[in-house]
Amino acid sequence: MDLWQLLFTLALICANDSLPTSEVPLGEPQIVKCRSPEMETFSCHWTDGDVHNHTAPRTMQLLYMKRGDEEWKECPDYVTAGENSCYFNTSYTSVWIPYCVKLANENKVFDEKCFSVDEIVLPDPPINLNWTLLNISLTGIHVDIQVRWEPPPTADVRKGWVTLEYELQYKEVNETKWKELEPVCSTTVPLYSLKMGRDYEIRIRSRQRTSEKFGEFSETLSVSFSMASEAVLCAEEIQFPWLFIVIFGTCGLVVVMFLILFSKQRLKMLILPPIPAPKIKGIDPDLLKKGKLEEVNSILASHDSYKPQLYNDDLWVEFIELDIDDPDEKTEGSDTDRLLSDAHMKSHSCLGVKDDDSGRASCCEPDMPETDFSASDTCDGTSDTDQSKKISEKEETLLCLDQKDNNKSFTNLDDPANQQLISQSEDNQSRPPFADSIESLSPVPPVRTQLSNQSSVTNIDFYAQVSDITPAGSVVLSPGQKNKTGRAQCEAHTEPAAQCQSNFTMDNAYFCEADVKKCIAVTSHEEVEPHVQDQSFNEDTYFTTESLTTTAVNPSTAAEEASSSEMPVPDYTSIHIVHSPQGLVLNATALPVPDKEFMVSCGYVSTDQLNKIMP
Amino acid sequence: MITTMNNKGASLKGVLLVFLLISNMFLTKKSVTSLPICPSGSVNCQVSLGELFDRAVKLSHYIHFLSSEMFNEFDERYAQGRGFITKAVNGCHTASLTTPEDKEQAQQIHHEDLLNLVLGVLRSWNDPLLHLVTEVQRIKEAPNTILWKAAEIEEQNKRLLEGMEKIVGRVQPGDTGNEVYSRWSGLPSLQLADEDSRLFAFYNLLHCLRRDSHKIDNYLKLLKCRLIHDSNC
Repeated sequence: MDLWQLLFTLALICANDSLPTSEVPLGEPQIVKCRSPEMETFSCHWTDGDVHNHTAPRTMQLLYMKRGDEEWKECPDYVTAGENSCYFNTSYTSVWIPYCVKLANENKVFDEKCFSVDEIVLPDPPINLNWTLLNISLTGIHVDIQVRWEPPPTADVRKGWVTLEYELQYKEVNETKWKELEPVCSTTVPLYSLKMGRDYEIRIRSRQRTSEKFGEFSETLSVSFSMASEAVLCAEEIQFPWLFIVIFGTCGLVVVMFLILFSKQRLKMLILPPIPAPKIKGIDPDLLKKGKLEEVNSILASHDSYKPQLYNDDLWVEFIELDIDDPDEKTEGSDTDRLLSDAHMKSHSCLGVKDDDSGRASCCEPDMPETDFSASDTCDGTSDTDQSKKISEKEETLLCLDQKDNNKSFTNLDDPANQQLISQSEDNQSRPPFADSIESLSPVPPVRTQLSNQSSVTNIDFYAQVSDITPAGSVVLSPGQKNKTGRAQCEAHTEPAAQCQSNFTMDNAYFCEADVKKCIAVTSHEEVEPHVQDQSFNEDTYFTTESLTTTAVNPSTAAEEASSSEMPVPDYTSIHIVHSPQGLVLNATALPVPDKEFMVSCGYVSTDQLNKIMP
Repeated sequence: MITTMNNKGASLKGVLLVFLLISNMFLTKKSVTSLPICPSGSVNCQVSLGELFDRAVKLSHYIHFLSSEMFNEFDERYAQGRGFITKAVNGCHTASLTTPEDKEQAQQIHHEDLLNLVLGVLRSWNDPLLHLVTEVQRIKEAPNTILWKAAEIEEQNKRLLEGMEKIVGRVQPGDTGNEVYSRWSGLPSLQLADEDSRLFAFYNLLHCLRRDSHKIDNYLKLLKCRLIHDSNC
């Protein structure tokens, strides 16, 4: 009970507080509002209050008093403003003068208010609302309009007596909440982004700029867009995203088709193509498998540095046959001699030889095995001569190399020398007749003599020994082995053989084999030679197209060995291994190699190899 | 040798440049003012009368806005429950100046007279505003907004007075006129010991300030429409 009483009193107090702070109790007549629409007139309205409290009809009076008056005056006009109102026209209105009005009935005062007219200004609503189209968006969805109106006719805006501010509100027809814009002083305002296809309502109210209260709202302006844009409406509203379904369905179908049609392997190959195995550019491995060597050769021939080394089976047979042959038969014309001697005779004939069907430019290019041997012989000889001439120059530089600046020179001359050597060896390989001739040249001295003879004529040695390397990097060659007269320089350098031990600078990784050989007992040479010869014949220089590693034995190695009578320095050694592109490992023809380790002649002799050699 | 000559040349040029700049500064000093004062009767004034009126209207509107807010704040904070509203407001000290009370009177009065009246009212408020700023700080727990507004009104009033004097100088060239204004003697009431009385005095003053600022604002708008826009705002 106490709690309920407490709550009840609290409720009463709250109710009392929430009552308006007017002195007139409820049910009594009171002045509701006094309003001036234009600051020239004003009117006051009141309520009667509860009628049933009073039996007699009310005769209410509104009395007013301006400051400066001594007494209350009665309302001049009870009619104009309506019932229960008092209207003060311009003559009764003074703006910045305080007024007090009171509602009285005979002697009883019900209500009283004091104000000044400038405080109670509430303008009339604007009139003549209309709108014009500003623009329609490109999509046709949104519309901008400009709403115009006129100030209330009562307010004298033109003379500046009243300065008005307007507030526009708008909403869609089916909405309940009005959207408001910021108050503007002008009588026009744009409305942006109204939606096409909808209907809107607009209303405006005004207030005096310096006051806070707004007047009444104007009449509602209806703006309708639904009539003009039905087509657009239909186009906009997507009933169902058929287009998306079709597109995605198609894409999915395509993907499924891909998966089905292409097996896993093929798809895998499509997406991740296999990395091609290394192969010679332009050569199809299938060609090689099928044995179409001529085609491969033609392809390879297009590369400058490559001389095809393809053989028919016949060649192999020939090689084998040649092995049995009497080496004496081959003393007459070594391949080099033949090359050099035939060069003049058969150059023209070579030129006359036309290209075969392989379509190569010059007959002097490496020829195909299928051509006539004679023709190819001449051509080969010529070409080989050219090649060998080139080679000889290089070889001279290489072979004449002495212990000085071995590394440097080798690195400089490696590639061309190797290439030349390779090419030379390849040359040797590709010509079966050449090979024949090579094989027939087992004894080297005749070759050498021929060479030296040739060199005396042409002043160019087919093989020459590098005797020295000048500081500039050029190589000094010693002339042919046989003809020692031409090789003065090399001679000079070959002299200090005795000081071999001291000459070795151990900081060089590689030593000239020649130098090493000098230090070794000469006696070992003769023993090695025939051995080497056999070696030279047994080991054919052959190339496979798959790899350029060759085990080439220069057939003339033996000749070289045989020819080197005074110095155990071979002018040329056979190529054992081509460590392309770094260099060659030549056969150690003159050195007692314990096992089949090959030494490099004037190429590389590594220190460990050197140690093996040296006693 | 050459470098020294070059240096001398450069320094000479610099000196010449500086001299030119300074001379330019002195010669053009007169025109470098924030609000150029046009000599009376001159045709090529930089600021037009319309521009001056625009500025004046803006200022008067601002002053009325501030005083209205200040009054409301004061009313809310101090006048509630004291019955200030129901009391008949005492007359303002500017009542001695006979200003138009309605539209007809305002339309009939000559614009020059009206301008002078405006000036009179503005001058009349110089002193009260100054004291208002100092005295309102002594009100117990006066909020900062009221203090700030009082200071702002006082300053803007001075600016408006300057502007109006310019306008008067344009419109009535050569007529300095009597400086008519009402004296304010309400300072003792602002310093009463009785707080209720003091607050009532403040209330009154702020009420009068709001009213007079509204008057000035209205008159200026009226004049602007009449003089600048030819009664067609």
